[in-house]
Amino acid sequence: MAQRQPADPAQLVLDVRSVSKSFPGVRALRGVDFGVRPGEVHALVGENGAGKSTLIKVVTGVYQVDEGEVRLDGRPVAFGSPLEAQDAGISTIYQEINLIPLMSVARNLFLNREPSRFGVIDSARMKREAYEILRGYGVDVNPSRPLRSLGLGAQQMVAIARAVQIDARVVIMDEPTSSLETREVETLFRVIRRLRDQGIAIVYVSHRLDELYEICDRVTIMRDGETVHVDEMARVDRLQLIALMLGRDLTDVRQHGATAFAADHDVAGEPVVRAHELHRAHQLDKVSVDLRPGEVVGLGGLLGSGRSETARAIAGALPLDGGSVAVGGVPLRRHSTAAAIRAGVVMLPEDRKSDGIIPNLSVRENIVLAALPRISRAGLVDKGKQDEIVEFFFERLRIKASSPAQKVGELSGGNQQKVMLARWLCLNPKALLLDEPTRGIDVGAKAEVQSLIDELAKEGLAVMLISSDLEELIEGSDRIVVLKEGRMVAELTGDAVSQGALMTALAEGDPSPTAGDGAQA
Amino acid sequence: MSTGTAEVSAAPKAGLNKGRVLGWLQEYGVYAAIVVLLAINTALKPSFLSVENFRVQTFQAVPVLVVALGMALVIATEGIDLSVGAVIAVASAVIPLYLGYGSIASILVALVAGALSGLLAGGMVAFARVQPIVATLALMIGLRGLAVMANGATAKSISDPVLLGLGLNSWLGVPQMLVIALVIVVIVMFVVRRTTFGRQLMAVGDNRAASALSGLPVRRVLVTVYVASGVLAALAGVFLVGHGGYADPANYGLNYELSAITAVVVGGTPLSGGRIRVLGTVAGAVFMQLITATLIQNNIKNSYEQMVEAVIIVGAVYAARGRSGR
Amino acid sequence: MSSTPRRRSARLVVITGAAVATVLVAGGCAKSASNQASDSPSGDTKAAGQQRVADAGSKGPTCTAKQYGAPKVDLKKVTVGFSQSESTSNPFRATETKSITDEAKRLGIKLIQRNANANVPQQNTDIQDMIAQGAKVLIVAPENSDGLAPAFAKAKAKHIPILTIDRTVQGTACSDFIGFIGSDFAGQARIAADDLGKALKGKGDVVVLQGTSGNNVATDRTQGFNKEIAAKYPGIKIVASQTANFDQATGQKVMEQILQSHPDVKGLYAENDTMALGAIQAIRSAGKVPGKDIKIVSIDGIEDAVKDVVSGVIVADVETNPRFGPLAFQALSDFYSGKGTHTTTIIADHHFTAANAKEALSNGDVY
Repeated sequence: MAQRQPADPAQLVLDVRSVSKSFPGVRALRGVDFGVRPGEVHALVGENGAGKSTLIKVVTGVYQVDEGEVRLDGRPVAFGSPLEAQDAGISTIYQEINLIPLMSVARNLFLNREPSRFGVIDSARMKREAYEILRGYGVDVNPSRPLRSLGLGAQQMVAIARAVQIDARVVIMDEPTSSLETREVETLFRVIRRLRDQGIAIVYVSHRLDELYEICDRVTIMRDGETVHVDEMARVDRLQLIALMLGRDLTDVRQHGATAFAADHDVAGEPVVRAHELHRAHQLDKVSVDLRPGEVVGLGGLLGSGRSETARAIAGALPLDGGSVAVGGVPLRRHSTAAAIRAGVVMLPEDRKSDGIIPNLSVRENIVLAALPRISRAGLVDKGKQDEIVEFFFERLRIKASSPAQKVGELSGGNQQKVMLARWLCLNPKALLLDEPTRGIDVGAKAEVQSLIDELAKEGLAVMLISSDLEELIEGSDRIVVLKEGRMVAELTGDAVSQGALMTALAEGDPSPTAGDGAQA
Repeated sequence: MSTGTAEVSAAPKAGLNKGRVLGWLQEYGVYAAIVVLLAINTALKPSFLSVENFRVQTFQAVPVLVVALGMALVIATEGIDLSVGAVIAVASAVIPLYLGYGSIASILVALVAGALSGLLAGGMVAFARVQPIVATLALMIGLRGLAVMANGATAKSISDPVLLGLGLNSWLGVPQMLVIALVIVVIVMFVVRRTTFGRQLMAVGDNRAASALSGLPVRRVLVTVYVASGVLAALAGVFLVGHGGYADPANYGLNYELSAITAVVVGGTPLSGGRIRVLGTVAGAVFMQLITATLIQNNIKNSYEQMVEAVIIVGAVYAARGRSGR
Repeated sequence: MSSTPRRRSARLVVITGAAVATVLVAGGCAKSASNQASDSPSGDTKAAGQQRVADAGSKGPTCTAKQYGAPKVDLKKVTVGFSQSESTSNPFRATETKSITDEAKRLGIKLIQRNANANVPQQNTDIQDMIAQGAKVLIVAPENSDGLAPAFAKAKAKHIPILTIDRTVQGTACSDFIGFIGSDFAGQARIAADDLGKALKGKGDVVVLQGTSGNNVATDRTQGFNKEIAAKYPGIKIVASQTANFDQATGQKVMEQILQSHPDVKGLYAENDTMALGAIQAIRSAGKVPGKDIKIVSIDGIEDAVKDVVSGVIVADVETNPRFGPLAFQALSDFYSGKGTHTTTIIADHHFTAANAKEALSNGDVY
């Protein structure tokens, strides 16, 4: 399926061979191969659900493999726990740093292997050594300070220093820069290069393409639980990288057919929602989006680009450091979901289970949940109005449930999603923000939801669509705003709403002024 | 990224039968247990079914029941209210201080004090986002101290006829406090089942994040249930003062939070929130009272009572867990 | 979600807190009531406002300053420390403190004192504070029989003798402490048993309301009563014996239950007065007449109970005498004079019956 770089197994420090791993209902890894050489920085990339996390967890002993084997220095290993993996030389640096915040920096650095004399911790020596070691990582702090008093970047350095101190030969970094400032990223990269030169293998997981090209030597691309490509980093250009991650062949950009969307919509009039320079530290950087009646605006971007955050910000569910949202020309005075809903802006959240359904309430109660204030009189629910609404949407959305009294938690994903849509549609909203509306629902329901989106736009609703299904995004949207690292990098309109253009924008869009070589394509 | 998205549907596993048994137990176990206890006691002593015995059990069970109803509302929001015992003490401290203004006035002041303490608890939980157990534990300690301070540690005897009537007398043969408690049961059932607020309460308890995203007044709901719990606890304090004929802030309400939680849990309301069993809570309080009566009337050592209660709580929670599979 | 509601919330919380406090503390027209008393020990017979307290029997070897290893001091020239265990809102404690204070004043002895308010760690601190303040001799009313070891050890290291009153502590007399002065709890129970036996004419079913389980006072009072009844009154049967935690409300609750299962009980023995008061309420609401249908004996001698003795509701009440002043300072004086004080001194407890209760009340002999 993909071209593989034959690697001499003998020179691999970490060698994952044909590993499969299943969970109830999901095959997370299907015969994955993954090899890392000593002294290289190896990028591991893939979209949501590609299997990166599972692979890391298999390697570090969180999960056990179903099939295949993991070799360290040519010897098969099977770790029972992350601690065993760490003892064997595989350390993981997570984005949430897994150290002990209240303990001193020195204690964290030497945890479980404190220098001691006669069984008593030699704290003077420990502090002295900690200070020296950390200076080597560009962290100049008093090692007696509690870890949590350090900045996140410095904490990460302590974590890395600790990993190296315990003779790690493979260091896995999972999104290490997600909460770091630019200067801290530079320090991190310096340290990574130094580790590489010492012969340590680094597995680098990140969605930031610029970083990958800056620091990584080789890359393994995963998709749908399989390894789809292994290559020198420099030999894969950005467009190709994205095409491989998303599973799209560049020469085969289909136009129509896979989705239930019809043609473009008539877009009319003034924007109903104007989001102006939405800003939130580390998440959104002055994102502005307008939504017009009858228009479906797609949000494009890779994982972590700020798509969901943008939707949540507009819906009043994400606290903002700056920016404003106006509906029908009137700025929302309070930034809250209730205010947004009252103004007619509603959002279908990405995670249906944790943010959407109320599992123990009935379908009926779930549908009218947000509409309660409108169908209540004197604190009592008007049953007539309630049944009217429920009946109407049961029919219109073809919700399959034994009765409106059935608990929502017992429905299939697709029907739960329809209930969620009904919850919002019964409010007669002006703008509907859809975050992954068809994720995890079956094909039939997916087509229904897609044609519903179409219909709603035709009826004059302003729609914002977020989808990691490229076809859905491109065919469903009249216009696509492309985000990268929380910033807008491109806007595709008209004929430019195409896979080719989107992937180019994803690859080339240059959000950060400091980023270097953006001209790979 | 996280491939562990594995939507592990709570698939009914092999132990379907076990699940069904546990489900039945959680749903109806407490009623069955009440029948069994009544049968045993009647067999041992037919006079257990006498009106007189009924009155005695009523007077002892009603204060716990009233507190448990408020507790059930709080638990339905996935919270807990440990301050109820201390609120009882506060009520008993306030009553003698305000009796000079009349019995009704002193009762109202006690209820207002309960409401204020609920407002404080609810405020901490809803706005300051303090964990319910922490917020109400702090109140539990603080309010008890305040109650003792306000009134002195000594008990004060009460001879007010209205209060004593609430504690000891009947209307048409039904103890006054039972009449009031039944009215409250009906109100709580109505609120929970029929009103918009009840709907919001269940939604907030079941999925707070989703409720907030749906624009529900999450904070108002939370504050309201803690206020309700505070008022009901204060009412229990009024009953206790009336029944004992004296007010004793240092000792009144001790361990009431535990009795109330037990009644709620035994009655089948899950601690995980989103559901409430009002009649179950009534049954839970009745059941716990019958346990006490059975043990004392048969002169079984009190220390066994605590052990029996512990076993019942564990059993009830186990039945609830085994059923919901969460 | 933005910061405004948060701030508003903080204000709300503060305002509410203030409101609760105001309502409670600002109080209103007080309508005061009577009181309740202690689960505590101790007592005297010929008690009196004048502090005539009798030694009702002393046991054990004597102990002198020399044996103890304490430096000889003149009581009138040093500071004596008194550590009270519980709040003086409890009349027993109030009387106890007053007795010690009055006697010290009468003898011209300088006394400093602390109250631990039923908190053992606090009492440890209190004792050590008083040592730091220069107390050379200590009188301690222990909150608990164990738990005060740290403070006692500190005193011992500094050769500061401690006299314990009303409750005992773990340790060796004349080494860890000088000795103990207090009531004979089993003896109190025997007196109560005799009172009840006579009132019932040696016949009938009786109920026992026990104090807190595991408390040595409760244990002694239960065993003393049971033994005396078994030995002298074969016609009396103890049909129910349940703990009511020395608490009035619990006493009422337990008695309500027992009256349902044993409607024919003729007698009640309550191990303290507050439980008796609760039980009386229960007896009345069951439609029976306390003192007539059910004879009651109790222990402690608090005012409300003694009033019930006068009115015939309670047959007899054995006092737990809190007036330790005279005996305590006598013991200390003997300790230093070389005469020696007994390691256990029993304080004489008043015995209130229909014959003397009224007089005792009017004489102010009741606390």
